[in-house]
Amino acid sequence: VRFVDEFRDPELGRALAGEILGAVEPGRHYKLMEVCGGHTHSIYKYGVDDLLPANVELVHGPGCPVCVIPMGRVDDGIAIAEQPGVIFTCFGDMMRIPGSERTLLEAKAEGADVRMVYSPLDALRIARENPDRDVVFYAIGFETTAPSTALTLTRAKAEGIRNFLCMCNHVTIVPPLRALLDSPDLRLDGFIGPGHVATVVGARPFEFIPAEYGKPCVIAGFEPLDILQAIRMILLQLRAGRREVENQYTRVVPYEGNLRALRAMAEVFALRPHFEWRGLGFIGQSALRLSDAYRDFDAELRYEVPGVRVADPKACQCGEVLKGVIKPFECKVFGTACTPERPIGTCMVSSEGACAAYYNFGRFAREREVV
Amino acid sequence: MRVVGAERDGLAPCEGPEGEASEVEVTLVSPVAPGDRVLVHAGVALALLAAEAAA
Repeated sequence: VRFVDEFRDPELGRALAGEILGAVEPGRHYKLMEVCGGHTHSIYKYGVDDLLPANVELVHGPGCPVCVIPMGRVDDGIAIAEQPGVIFTCFGDMMRIPGSERTLLEAKAEGADVRMVYSPLDALRIARENPDRDVVFYAIGFETTAPSTALTLTRAKAEGIRNFLCMCNHVTIVPPLRALLDSPDLRLDGFIGPGHVATVVGARPFEFIPAEYGKPCVIAGFEPLDILQAIRMILLQLRAGRREVENQYTRVVPYEGNLRALRAMAEVFALRPHFEWRGLGFIGQSALRLSDAYRDFDAELRYEVPGVRVADPKACQCGEVLKGVIKPFECKVFGTACTPERPIGTCMVSSEGACAAYYNFGRFAREREVV
Repeated sequence: MRVVGAERDGLAPCEGPEGEASEVEVTLVSPVAPGDRVLVHAGVALALLAAEAAA
């Protein structure tokens, strides 16, 4: 398949691995964070880390949309799903995220009308087909998914659909990155930037990373060669003493992003003053709500939600995994009490979660072999 | 995905790598024409793949 096969070529991969080996300074340990869960998934699916020298460590970031949803927001969703007459729609992963007592899937088993959709447009279609019932879409995701929600709401408004509502949990990528960079726990050398978020927001919003924190950031695609090339670009920057934002994913990411998407988002959403992230706590201006022009579509204004903050289960260390402080297999419950079949924490649920990536691709506790 | 039909009301029929068909919201990358490659996320085309990359 074009755009795919060329970026999975094993010969080129080995050649890039050789160049990476040539770019590292012996005796120096490099910690690079891949921000996006899509990268985490690709790295373990294709064994990208096995091609890296032992002193290049990949740290997994907070960019998995379902992983960062706190338990209280799941409970709020369930409360809406259980309102009489409501059809509650969400992405499949979201149905399995544990709330304080149950998942949405368990609420469905108990009678709530919870339906899986692939896109908010599917939810809007359900609303058209069921004009006498409220259809609520539980919106999650970073700037990659937010345009989809924005365009769907624009469509609903234009068509005068009154029974389509949105519970907005969209988050933005820059505030948690700042929180991580400000945290004393992590000493990172560079960032593999989120390619699909950058498709929407562009590369510019990441310029604060070199400008204010003196670290390189390379926006990367999601095929194994994309990731290897981005790692090489970061290492070359470090070696040459450069600190800048570079775009490895030029075939998709324009430096300024998608202006139409940004305009649609600016019309439909407004920043929340603060939002709770699983494991990272409250982060200021890190999430979106519906703007006043779209308040009629806001499920949280039509229905009462508990809005209670719920602490994560004690055994679960998703917070530390999301911050990159521990590796998934260092969590006490990884692969024992917490598995993709019966997840305790969010990182084990989504295919983009670091724990699920380690578990599904056989990365149990082990030391890396020296290449 | 690949655009396989004409764009209408911001939507265009597209086909995935395995031949799966779906109606994609293309407002953000409009205008598109059959044969164009688009990056689709949650039902919405976010980017039109650069023509030189598609050649």
